[in-house]
Amino acid sequence: MPGQRPRVELLRGTLDLMILRTLLPGPRHGHAIAKHIQRTTEDLLQVETGSLYPALYRLEASGCVAASWERSDKGKRARYYRITPKGRKQLASEQSKWNAFVRAMGFLLKPTVEEGR
Amino acid sequence: MRPLLRRVMWWVKRRRKEDELREELQFHLDEETEERRDAGLPDDEARWAARRDLGNEVRLREDVRSLWSWRPLDELAQDLRYAFRTLFKARAVTIFAVLSLALGIGANTAIYSFMDAILLRALPVPDPPSLVVMTWQSKAIAFGTSSGSEFVMHSIDGSFYKRPDGGVEGRIFPYRGFERLRQASTPVVTSLFTFFSDRKLNVLVDGEAELSSVLYVSGEFFRGVAVPPAAGRGLVPDDDRAGAPAVAVVSAGYGQRRFGSAANAVDRQILINNVPFTIVGVASPEFFGVDPGSAPSLYLPMHANLLLDRDAAERYLDQNYYWAGIMGRLRPGVGIAAAQSVLATAFEQFAASTATTDGERANLPMLRVQEAAGGLDTLRRKYSKPLYVLLTMVGLILAIACANTANLLLARATARQREIAVRISIGAGRGRLIRQLLTESLVLSLLSGALGVLIAIAGTRLLTVLLAAGSDSFTIDAEVNWHALAVTLLLSIACGVLFGLVPALQSTRPALVPALKDASTGLSSRPARARNPRLRVQQALVAAQISLLMVLLVAAGLFARTLSNLQSIPLGFNPDRVLLFDVNAVQAGYAPADAARYYADLRRRLSDLPGIRAATLSHASLIRAGRQHPVTIDGVRAQGTRLLQTGPGFFTAMQIPILAGREIDERDRAGTVDVAVISDLFARRFLPNESPLGRRVKIGGSSPMEVEIVGVAASARYGPLKYAVPPVLYIAYAQVPALQLQQMTYALRTDGEPMRYVPAIREAARAADSRVPITNITTQTGEIDQTINQEIVLARLCTSFAAIALLIACVGLYGTMAYAVVRRTREIGIRMALGAQRRGVVWMVLREACVLTAVGLAISLPIALGMSRFIESFLFDMKPNDPRALGFALAALLGAALAASYGPARRASRIDPAAALRHD
Repeated sequence: MPGQRPRVELLRGTLDLMILRTLLPGPRHGHAIAKHIQRTTEDLLQVETGSLYPALYRLEASGCVAASWERSDKGKRARYYRITPKGRKQLASEQSKWNAFVRAMGFLLKPTVEEGR
Repeated sequence: MRPLLRRVMWWVKRRRKEDELREELQFHLDEETEERRDAGLPDDEARWAARRDLGNEVRLREDVRSLWSWRPLDELAQDLRYAFRTLFKARAVTIFAVLSLALGIGANTAIYSFMDAILLRALPVPDPPSLVVMTWQSKAIAFGTSSGSEFVMHSIDGSFYKRPDGGVEGRIFPYRGFERLRQASTPVVTSLFTFFSDRKLNVLVDGEAELSSVLYVSGEFFRGVAVPPAAGRGLVPDDDRAGAPAVAVVSAGYGQRRFGSAANAVDRQILINNVPFTIVGVASPEFFGVDPGSAPSLYLPMHANLLLDRDAAERYLDQNYYWAGIMGRLRPGVGIAAAQSVLATAFEQFAASTATTDGERANLPMLRVQEAAGGLDTLRRKYSKPLYVLLTMVGLILAIACANTANLLLARATARQREIAVRISIGAGRGRLIRQLLTESLVLSLLSGALGVLIAIAGTRLLTVLLAAGSDSFTIDAEVNWHALAVTLLLSIACGVLFGLVPALQSTRPALVPALKDASTGLSSRPARARNPRLRVQQALVAAQISLLMVLLVAAGLFARTLSNLQSIPLGFNPDRVLLFDVNAVQAGYAPADAARYYADLRRRLSDLPGIRAATLSHASLIRAGRQHPVTIDGVRAQGTRLLQTGPGFFTAMQIPILAGREIDERDRAGTVDVAVISDLFARRFLPNESPLGRRVKIGGSSPMEVEIVGVAASARYGPLKYAVPPVLYIAYAQVPALQLQQMTYALRTDGEPMRYVPAIREAARAADSRVPITNITTQTGEIDQTINQEIVLARLCTSFAAIALLIACVGLYGTMAYAVVRRTREIGIRMALGAQRRGVVWMVLREACVLTAVGLAISLPIALGMSRFIESFLFDMKPNDPRALGFALAALLGAALAASYGPARRASRIDPAAALRHD
């Protein structure tokens, strides 16, 4: 087994954001989404399959992604997800919320002069 | 796609979604396994790792599934499935309940469709609510009496009506009155227009003549109704003046039929009563004028009647001659009350100025402005009361069907008592159970509603045919539209809840222990029916059905007796195999003197046709005739005498026996002695105790015509069936002053079915002169039926309704009795073991049915008597509480009740005591 690296616990709602961002370049099936997140975060974030699929179906129900059955590169039938215009909007708003959050956390966590003293 | 819709879609496709998810997860596992194998793991270890990575698959699936499962829908689906299953299990009950309810719902929808078409529909014009119609009201008047005038309306071309309060009202006015109102109306209406419809006129297009209905309208009419023409232009004020070019607007249907298309009709020349007119426009297709009861083919300017009617000029001048209808369109923001206050004053001044005596001044007509969104009320006056009667009837049927279905469901609920008790004791909520049972009854009622719509469509067509009764001027266009469908849906749901709720509430409140033990058939010290509230409800429902049924039966009996009274009225002539049709040579352009010659020529041609036994003519058919002139014998007025202008051979053709002398024949021409045949009644009333032959009679007031009596005929019907037969004077049409000669009605006695000869007759008429159309072709029996059509329709419908209701109620009674017998099996067994006779048991059961029937009758008799007074105006020659109709209803009801309960009673008497006592 490859060496275990420390994993980051996901914040609630972040999974949706990750999925939507992953789908931005083009349609992918569920497994590919999981792998992509894992790879691009250099294995820091590992998506639990047990939460990925419910999240995908939830996004589909709310109309942020659309799904269809297509052939994978290896010729097998796979369910491909694609981001919808509503999903893009959702992504944009989630992303700006996330940025605000990160900024806020940055302020909070930055060691300040007073604290050092 | 909206999220809610998607959820419903997913719910509908939830099975497939489940499969999809499984396939998707399998794909994920395969990919993962492959990836790990590529990384160098052995096959089974790779698969194992992949599965471990996936985690708890069951939980995952459950998480996702919650997205497409939806509890209320799931439960509804369960309820529906269960409902269909139980309904299917009790097929006989279901089919009967659905059929009876469907009949009830369908009949109600059909009648409602008619009410919608007749009473509720607005005119197809923009902004109908702003249309108003002028009417007047006054105290009771004695119209047409010879002794001086008591009312400003001296003569009339149209009708006025009695009001419930004893006064009269009308909606026609003198033309001068219209002009006066028009001057005063500017502040309150944007346009005020007048109109009147004349007899049909002879319209000749391309050498082909046809009688067409006409509406004369004033110049403001088309602007007032504001319906743009389909082609050309509407009539304008400039068309409507004496001396204007003769122009006409035709209806879209007429343009289509006679010219091929609306556009083709414009600028065409036509001859109306031999006067050339130019068509300047075609009305829009949905427009039919302002009276839903008549759709004119042509619209002519008001003053065009000056060209067509030699007496028309007088119409415009005579201020006491009422003939023109008036409507207007209110200005925006002006209410009816405001319009009335302005116009009533103007009309009052006008009416006062036309009064000639103090009596007239004391009872001046008062103007009332009424809303006219639905157009004129001729149809409403004619049909609203019969429709309300029919609506009551079908309402009763529906009530009976509902009570019956409730009964059936109650009986079934009893059969399911144990099942329900089990379900409650293992924890089913009462609300959930009630919902389940209500779902069942709603499914039942909606199924019935769906079937009811089909019945309603068929019923509406049937009713249209029945009401039209072959009349080609029938204009009611009733159809099952979304109004009616909404009513059906509401009715179905209301019925479902109504008959479903009681059984549902009752059966979900069982005493659990006895129900589970199924001790309900056991014995107790009290009689079974007092102990069982459900049976009591059932009995109440049966009694209610019987009382409703009684009302229906009494009504059916009254209507059927009325019809048979009408049909057994002696006619005095033979109506079988007689063909009737109208011919009007004068209208087609014949000079009065030539018309008589034409009529004689046509009669000869028709007599020569094969299969025609006799051909004759008269100024009107015997049933429609109604001509009265002052008739005097030796200066003494023969009061109430009616006149009929007849052709040769009239009495032979109509088979009216000649009692003395001879009938009018070919000899009686202009120039010979003027002759008359009198009716037996005339002879007995005015010339008793002497031979009337050779006596002379004077007809007419100022320059009387003197005729010699040459024959006496047996009294025959003259005028409508419901009136008493008057004394009649028959004269030769060839001898009356030429100016009196107008339309004639031919009567042909044929060898076979009269309608078969129509083509040959048309051919003969065309050969005589193609400009003279033959119209209103009917048979003598058909004509009679048409005059009593309302009675025929009511009698037929009511007897069918009563028969349906009787059947439904009988099945209900049968069900209740059968159920009661089953419940009392053990009791009856014991009675028989103790020595009760079979006859006694039969009687015991029948007695119960009789008690139920008697209770129902006791409730309904006062209702039936009250109701029969309400329909008194529909009855003929009988009192509302006619003993024979009541007796018939009672007999039918008792017979049916006994027949329905005899089966269960017999079964009760066949109970084997030994088996019954072992019965748990």
